[in-house]
Formats: sequence, C-alpha cells, structure tokens
Amino acid sequence: MELYSPEGLRVDGRRWNELRRFYCRINTHPIVADGSAYVEAGNTKIVCLLNGPHEPTRSQMNTQKGSLDIKLHVSPFSTTERRKVTRNDRRIQELSTILKNTFEQVVILKNYPRTIIEVNVRVLAQDGGLLAACCNAITLALVDAGIALYDYISAVSAGVFDNQILLDLNRLEEQDLSSVTIGVVGKTKKLSLVLSETRLPQDRLAKVFEVAVNGCHQLKDQMDAQVAKKGREKAITEELKTNWVQ
Amino acid sequence: MPPSTKRLNNGLSVTTKVFVRSRNGGATKIVREHYLRDDVACYSKLCDQCEYSLETTPVLSHVPFSTAKLTKHYLILDTNIVLNAIDLLEGSQALFDVIIPQTVLEEVRNRSYPIYTRLRGLSKADAKRLIVFHNEFCKNTFVARQKGETINDYNDRLIRKVGEYYNSHLSNYGVKVFLLTDDKDNLKKCKDEHILALSLREYLGQLPNSEDLLDTLPSAQDDLQVAEFKYAEYYSQSRLIAGVKSSVLFQGPMNVSSYDIFEGTINLPSIFPKPILVRGRQNMNRATNGDLVVVELLPKSQWVAPSNDIVDETTLGNADNEDNDLIISDQERRLLNKEARRAQMEDESKLQPSAKVVGVIRRRWRLFTGQLSPNTITTNTNALNSCLVTLSEKSMPAVRIKTRKANDLLNMRIVVAIDDWPGTSKHPEGHFVRTLGPIEDKDTEQEALLLEHDVEYRPFSKNVLDCLPKEGHEWIVPVDLSSDEQLKKRRDLRDKLVCSIDPPGCVDIDDALHARKLPNGNFEVGVHIADVTHFVKPATALDQEGASRSTSVYLVDKRIDMLPTLLGTDLCSLKPYVDRFSFSVIWELDEDANIINVDFMKSIIKSREAFSYQDAQDRIDDSSNNDELTQGMRSLLALSKKLKKKRMDAGALNLSSPEVKVHMDSETSDPGEVEIKKLLDTNSLVEEFMLLANISVARKIYDAFPQIAMLRRHAPPPSTNFEALNEMLHIRKGMTISVENSRALSDSLDRCVDKNDEYFNTLVRIMATRCMMAAEYFVSGNFSYQEFKHYGLAADIYTHFTSPIRRYCDVLAHRQLAAAIGYEPLHPIQRDKTKMDLIVKNMNRRHRNAQFAGRASIEYYVGQVIKNTESSQEGYIIKVFTNGIVVLVPNFGVESLIKLEDMGDESSGLFDEKEFKLSFNDKIGNKRELHVFDKVTVYMKSVLNEMTGKRKAVFLLK
Repeated sequence: MELYSPEGLRVDGRRWNELRRFYCRINTHPIVADGSAYVEAGNTKIVCLLNGPHEPTRSQMNTQKGSLDIKLHVSPFSTTERRKVTRNDRRIQELSTILKNTFEQVVILKNYPRTIIEVNVRVLAQDGGLLAACCNAITLALVDAGIALYDYISAVSAGVFDNQILLDLNRLEEQDLSSVTIGVVGKTKKLSLVLSETRLPQDRLAKVFEVAVNGCHQLKDQMDAQVAKKGREKAITEELKTNWVQ
Repeated sequence: MPPSTKRLNNGLSVTTKVFVRSRNGGATKIVREHYLRDDVACYSKLCDQCEYSLETTPVLSHVPFSTAKLTKHYLILDTNIVLNAIDLLEGSQALFDVIIPQTVLEEVRNRSYPIYTRLRGLSKADAKRLIVFHNEFCKNTFVARQKGETINDYNDRLIRKVGEYYNSHLSNYGVKVFLLTDDKDNLKKCKDEHILALSLREYLGQLPNSEDLLDTLPSAQDDLQVAEFKYAEYYSQSRLIAGVKSSVLFQGPMNVSSYDIFEGTINLPSIFPKPILVRGRQNMNRATNGDLVVVELLPKSQWVAPSNDIVDETTLGNADNEDNDLIISDQERRLLNKEARRAQMEDESKLQPSAKVVGVIRRRWRLFTGQLSPNTITTNTNALNSCLVTLSEKSMPAVRIKTRKANDLLNMRIVVAIDDWPGTSKHPEGHFVRTLGPIEDKDTEQEALLLEHDVEYRPFSKNVLDCLPKEGHEWIVPVDLSSDEQLKKRRDLRDKLVCSIDPPGCVDIDDALHARKLPNGNFEVGVHIADVTHFVKPATALDQEGASRSTSVYLVDKRIDMLPTLLGTDLCSLKPYVDRFSFSVIWELDEDANIINVDFMKSIIKSREAFSYQDAQDRIDDSSNNDELTQGMRSLLALSKKLKKKRMDAGALNLSSPEVKVHMDSETSDPGEVEIKKLLDTNSLVEEFMLLANISVARKIYDAFPQIAMLRRHAPPPSTNFEALNEMLHIRKGMTISVENSRALSDSLDRCVDKNDEYFNTLVRIMATRCMMAAEYFVSGNFSYQEFKHYGLAADIYTHFTSPIRRYCDVLAHRQLAAAIGYEPLHPIQRDKTKMDLIVKNMNRRHRNAQFAGRASIEYYVGQVIKNTESSQEGYIIKVFTNGIVVLVPNFGVESLIKLEDMGDESSGLFDEKEFKLSFNDKIGNKRELHVFDKVTVYMKSVLNEMTGKRKAVFLLK
C-alpha cells in the first residue's frame, strides 16, 4: 500500500492535513467516578475515569499542593493480536509519567493541598496516536470533574513522509514513519507535551509543529463543543429537577 | 453485516474495512478506517465539475483518441492487462488516456513490484496521459465487500464500478470510457451490467496498426497446444513453505552454468559447504538463471559429478533420462541431508549431492535480447508463426514466441519478454517486444548490450533536468563568498597549486591534487574531489536518478553518464583555469608518507593544469623544468611510491586481468587495433592518493555514523575457490598458491614463475583473479568491524569517495562526510538504514552490470578487429574438458573454446581428469596430448554465430 500516493491521498483516504474521525463524550460514568470521558480518535478508543480530589493515604500526602496520579491500563484485546500488557511494562510506565508531567502543568494543584486526584485511563482499542488520545481523554475527564485547569490540553501526532507532513497518524503510518506527538495548551501555541520516539529531521520540525498545532486547535474546538453541549443538557436537567421539587 | 458508514463534515465519510489475515497459522481480524471523499478528481480536461489542488492538473486529453470504428474514448485497464501488456503500455503506439483504478494499482503492486514501479513511472510522465484514479476513496465508486465474496470478485466489482462512474460522469462530453480486461468472467459481468468493456485483443483489433500491436501481446492462454513435453509439476505453495521450514527442502537462487544450460548450482553456505548441483533438463524443471528456487535432494544413487562436457542450445535435442519416481519419507530425507553434508566435507570423490527443482518462488525474468533461430520458421507467409528466439544470455534457454512477422524479424536483433513456462512446453513462452536493428550493426549491438546488462541509457527526463542550476553552463563560483551561510563555511584554496592527472581526453575530471613542502620538512598533500553534492541535493529527482543508475558505464566508444552532462563534464568537473567547488582532504605527511594529520573541508579550488598521464610523466621527467607545480608533482610521485611500497608490504594484491584497449580509427570510427593497456608511474601516483583519501574518509564517516556509513569491502576468498587452480598448478608445475591471508597469497603469486615463459606469472594472476570474491558496497551496520577488511587492498576499512561524478557511492560518502564535519546535516532518507540497504543493493548490482557491459563492449570490438585481421596467435590452455579445451590469447585478451571435433578424431579423445590431460588423434592421425597451461599456437578468426547472432573469436589449433 502506498503511504502517501502522488495523487495526495493517504492509506486510509485522508489528505495530509486531515484529522481522523474524532468522537468524544463526557460524564459517561457518573456513578462510579467523579469525572469521566470517552474518546475515539479513528479506531483508537479510550475510557478515562477520574476520582478525586480526595484524601490520600498518609504517605502520598503533600501539604503544599494536591498530587496527581495517572494510571494507564492497556487492554489485552486492544491490538490486533491479543497481548497481555502488565502495569509494570516499561513503556506503559513511561507514558504514565509523561502524562503526569504534562497535566501537572495545567491542573491548578495548589488549590487542592492534602488531596490526591486519581486518574485511570483504559485503552480499549489502539490504532495509532495512543498518547494523544489519552491526553484528550484526561482533559475531558478533568473538565467533567470540575477540577480547576488553566486551559485544555489537546494533543495530536504528526509525522513526515519524505518531504510531506502528515497529520494524525494511524497505526500503519505510525509503524513506518518518524513522528512526534505534541500537546497544546488551549488555543495558544504553547506546547505542554512533545514526544518523539523516532528520529525526526531537525529542519522539518518547525513545519511539523505548525501543522500539529493547527490540528490540536481543531480538536480543542470539538472537545469544547462537547463540553458545552453536556453543560446545556445539565443545565436543563437541573432546571427540570428544581422545578419538579418545587 | 456490511460495515456502517458515518458521515463526517465537509464531504468526508468514514467506513471500516475489515479483513482477516493469517499469520503463523492463526487468523487475525484487522479493522481499518476507510475514508470516502467526494473530491477525488476524474482528471479529464473535458470535465468542469472536479476541483484540483494547486499541484495537480487534469491529464486526460480534450480530444481523446478515436478511430473509424471507435468513438472518442478513454481506457480503464484491469490488472491482467497491466501485468501482461506493460511493454505495450510503455510503448508509444497504443493505449493513450488511460485510467488506472487504485484497485488495479494495488493488485499490480502485490503481484509484481517492478511492474508497479514502471506503472507509477508512467503516471508521472506526460506522454501517455495515464492517471491513477483512487476509486476506493471516492464516495461514488466505493462499494462494500459482500459476505462470501472472494477478494478477486470484489476487486473486479470495484473496477466495473469505475467504468460505470466514468461513463456517467463524462456522459455530457461525448466521451466513452472502455474497460479493458482479459478476464472472461469480468467481461461477461460487464455485459450483464451494460458497462462498456472489451478484451485487449478486441480493442487492438480495431486500431489501424493492429497487426503489429497484436504481435507484441503475450500469447493467449486458451491456445490449445499439443503437449510436446512434460515437466514434473511444482509442489504446492504450502508444501514448499513447510518443506523449507523443516529443512526437508532448500531454497536459494539458481546459478546456471554458462557452459551448460541444464546444469545449475545453488549456494547455501549456511547449510552446505559446497554448492548443491542440479543437472539435467528434468531436474532443472524449468528453472532459469537467477530464479529463486526450492530444491529437493535426490537419493544418493543419483548423485552426479559436475559435467566436464559443454552443452549449449546448439548441441541440445537428445532425450533426457527418464525420471524415476522414488518415494522417500521426510525422515529418510533428513538422513540424506546429513549424508550430503558429510559427503561434501569428507568425500574426495567428484560426486556432488544433487537435487531437483520442485518449485520456483520468484522468477528473475526481465527483457532479453536475442534473435530468431532461422530453422524454426516454418512458413513463408505472414501467418501466425511459432518460432524460437535464441537469447544473447548464454545461461538462458531459447524462448518460443508467436509472431506474424517472422520473416521481417530474421537477422534482426530483437527484444523479447518471457511470460510463462508451462509444464507442457519444452521452452519458455514469451512475446516479441521490439526490434533493435539488424544484427552486427554497431548501434544495434550497443543498444542490445546495454539492454542485456540492464543499463539505463535513455536520456535524462525533464524532471531530472529541472534540478540543474538555472544558469546552465554560465554557472560560476559566486564572487562574494560571504553572501551565504553555507558558502562562508567553504575554505578558499585557490592559492594552492592544484592540477589534475587523468587519461587523455577525459572530460569528467573527478579529482585534482596538490603538494607542498612545509617549513618543518613534512609535506602538505591535498586531494580535491569534485563537489557533486553541492548540485545533487538529496531526495530530488536528480538524486533518485543518480541512485538508480548508480554508476556511469564506459563502453569502447560511448559513455552512459550517471549524472547529466552539464554537471559531469562542466559544473562539477575540476576543469583547469576556472574556479570550482570541491571537497578536499588535506594531509600532513612526513618524509616516509606517514599521516601526521588529516583534515576534511568543502573548498573552492582553481586547477592550474589538466594533464594526461603521459604529459604528467613527461613534465616530471623533464629535469630542466623546476617550477613550483612540477616540484609539487615530483613530491607527489615520491610520496606515492612510498605509499605503494607500504601497501604492498601489508599484503595488497597485484592481480591481473587480460585488459586490452581498442584503438578506433578516428575517421571511420572502425576499430583499428588492439593494444594491451600499459601503466605509467603517474597512473599509480593518482591511484595511491585516491586510495589514501578513500581510507581516510572511510575512517571519518565510520566514526561519525557507525550504523550507516557507506563502505566497501572485499571478503577474503574461501580457500575452496582456489582448489581447482591449486591442483592444476601442483600437478602441472609443482607450485602452490597459499591463501591464508592476502600477504601469503601475494607472495605465493610472486613465486609462480616459469623461467621459460615470462607470461606464465600473469596467466596465473589472471586465473587467481577469477577465484577471488567480488568487492561490494555495504552499510557499516550490517557487518562487524573485522569484516570490513578490503582483502585486495589490504586495508582494514575502505570506501569510495573520489569519483562522485561517475559513482553514486561517492555521492553518499560525500554527504556523510559533509555531515561528519558539520557542514550540513544528513538528510533523513539517508539516516534510514533500510532505505540505505536498498540503495546499496542496487549499487552493487549496477556496478557489476556496468563492468560486464564494459567488458562485453570490448569483446564485441575485439571481435570486429579479429574479423579484419585473421592471424596465428600464441595462446594458453586454461581449462580442459572431456570434449574440448579453453584457450586464452593474451594479445587480444580473448578466450575461446575449441571443441574436440574441430581438433581431431572425436572417438579417439581420452580425458585424464587427474592430469588435466586430453589426448586424441588429430586430423592427420598423429597422436596429440594437451595439458592445462600448455602454450599453443592457434589460428584465430572471427565467425558469426548463426544461432545467437554474436561474433565470436574462433580458434583453430595448429
């Protein structure tokens, strides 16, 4: 298969600057979690459940600010070939740490001293862009839980095929191309996350960032729309409830 | 359940593609996203509905092709048409305005990658107006696969849908779109669904030049034939794979002997120390030279020795021994394998483990040149004639083609393609592609030779030429050196007294030198190499063309350039008296030519003079001339001699090949005389410093890029290669060659001297050279440091750096060195090891082909010279067979076979294998004995071979 045909189409029929289908919902598990979200980026599917802020065990207590605990679970059925991934897998641990470092910058933790915010990210299906999808899911879960944030973090991956930059890589592309995942704060050009696990030519980097930031902004708008929609729904139900009680 | 489709915004919707892939026996379900769009353009210039982005424009013509019988039309090709008629598609006679559905492109890619690249090449060139239509991504032409539908049926349906779409899409513009397919099922379905479809034959039949065109088609499969022959059937694919996995069967490339087309060997160094032998028509079972085959060992009773006979197409025709069907279990087979291995290790007898071919994994069929065998043409009319084509390549069997033009093609050199080799046919079946010209015509032979060696000789495409500097020949080194960041990094070396020394008449000057005595008594020596990479930037069309050609090819009277002439002979060439960009290596060498210091830099130089070897020699020898330049050259010469001595002491080999040079008559450009190349001191002057530069650069780039450095290695020859030669030397002359290391080999070669015969030593060297391994390019990550060794040069690490105008390896080395010294970063494509591996593989192949082409060209011209000057010459016997000998004539550098029947009474021939002796009664009845290494006098003349159309030197023993 041609990764990028001379006619300008990618393996799955997208053009170079097109995002995959992005679908998200928040407040999916209102009973078991304080904040929850479900994100699909193409065939990558993530559920994120958030509990907190609540009192931690003594050892995790920080009197100055709240602590953030992010755990990543990869389901064995998430890849085409069934594979058990233990929590101690080095790659999983590394990704968790990266996510934690990223979100510690936008969550206003000083508002929550002596508490812990526990985030559990469950990967249901993988088709490339795992880290980016996790980021978006956590942002939505944080919003849903009503935790103070400076701004959204929206993330997307981008790669380079010969001289062509491709936005939002799927699994096939990710395997063959060098790529970078970036996370952008709000609608700014501030990067809170940059991760590249392959070699990327230095002189292309500025271009890649430009394209990826643009993609992040598109995602931010879509996430915003979902939050706003949920907010309106909630407002209506609240209104109904109060009217009913009265 | 068909997958659901979701609509996204802006004319994009998504569905899923689900398929099952089997891997390691298990089945995996794979789900992929599949986006459907409504902005896939139809690429017709007539259509005003489709939109195009900035880079793309419509291709299909306003005024499509039409004939009396056919209205204006475009064509859609099915996979079978592309695969079978790619030559026709590439030609300029038919098939214009072609639409290739993406489905077809993918299918072609899966079936044959080379054809895929050719097809893609066509879509880039404008001439044929060929486009790829991404039907699977177009909302209007995508259809979901139905349950239980085979992938072939599904693909056919997708293709038919394209036909339907195009016809309705373009219905307002009076253009019809025909689907061409040779699949009967598909044709029928088209008829049912009222889609315009034709078979290729039907279509071509309606064209004015149909007769010519139909000839070039592969023969239709449904032609019933009388089974003239029956080969054993190949094993099923699964049996082959399972067999190879469990080491019951063996897989490897078939190496057909050039003396006998039914004797091949398969080299499996990891399993068997010696090659496995495959002998006989039935055992070869349709395998041809270079094919990747699977073989099965024969029972020990059927093992044979490599033949001492000569068999070619001319001597064929006798019945082969019957294939006896023995059934052996896998268990027994494993025992047999062990036995085979042991036999090779211990057994001194000549019997070799033999095998038969049971499957062909991949054919290596390309276009072949050849000529019709006159005796196979049966009729004189223009009826369809089935005749045999003898190929120029000796290790390939004759090919059967069907043509109506047999009589026109007689005595013409033609190009044929092989399509298939069915088990019922004695010969492979092919089709005629085109005529090159009359046999023995100089241009024809040259083109045939280039084709035969797969040398790309067509002019550079516009794409490539567009990458050249706009100024053309007017380009000069910028005057203001501080204007540009990159330029500032260049060192200005225009004050150095640089000169170049090359063969007379050389226009692509790669290298120039300078030397200067330093105040401390040491020497500053600089080698300046044309800075090709300044003009050839990575990942441009120019770069890709260079990579695919990989090397310039030098024929006797023609040069096929790797890079366009503008660069090769002007802008890059280090011409005298003008400023040129160069890449310089500057050493500080002490009196004994030891390296004190080395420095690499991009620079600007101005060559003071371009010498030929002879001029340089004369200037150095002229003691009255004492200017600075001459002084410098003398220091260079003195240093080079020391370098050479050091190299020889380290064990560098002084090998020999019977190299000759053909002088051309300047007026008639007929070959005049043949001369053995002679070497001057100045030749070795240049050579020594180039070697030194290559070694220094190799070290530097290996330091900087331990994984991807472009290097060149020369593996030590396995001692088995020398066994035959050693045995001959031992028995005939009482000498031996030792091969433990290059030093020992070099010394032992020096000892091989026959007091009565000066030439004998050279002869041994020539024969030893043939036992050596070929040097090869490689990427450093693929070998350990110990294996980097260049055996012939006795260097621990080596690369090619000094001829970037004519070798691509040097271009890569330049880029890596530029990155290593921080001049400019390495392009990502060249950091990718897998891509580099592919480039290297191609480079090695092209390099070998270029050498063969050069030799073949010399051979051809020597043949022409001999034609004019029949004479008696002295020659040496270098090989003895049961029914003939091979004689080498050093004066002309040609060798040829003399068959026993031409020397004397065939029945009296007695071959003594141990003594390398052939005794027979000659024509007069005298008894004669011939040994290997014997000096003989032969009468040499040149004869045109009726079968191959090649002129060959023929010797008659005196």
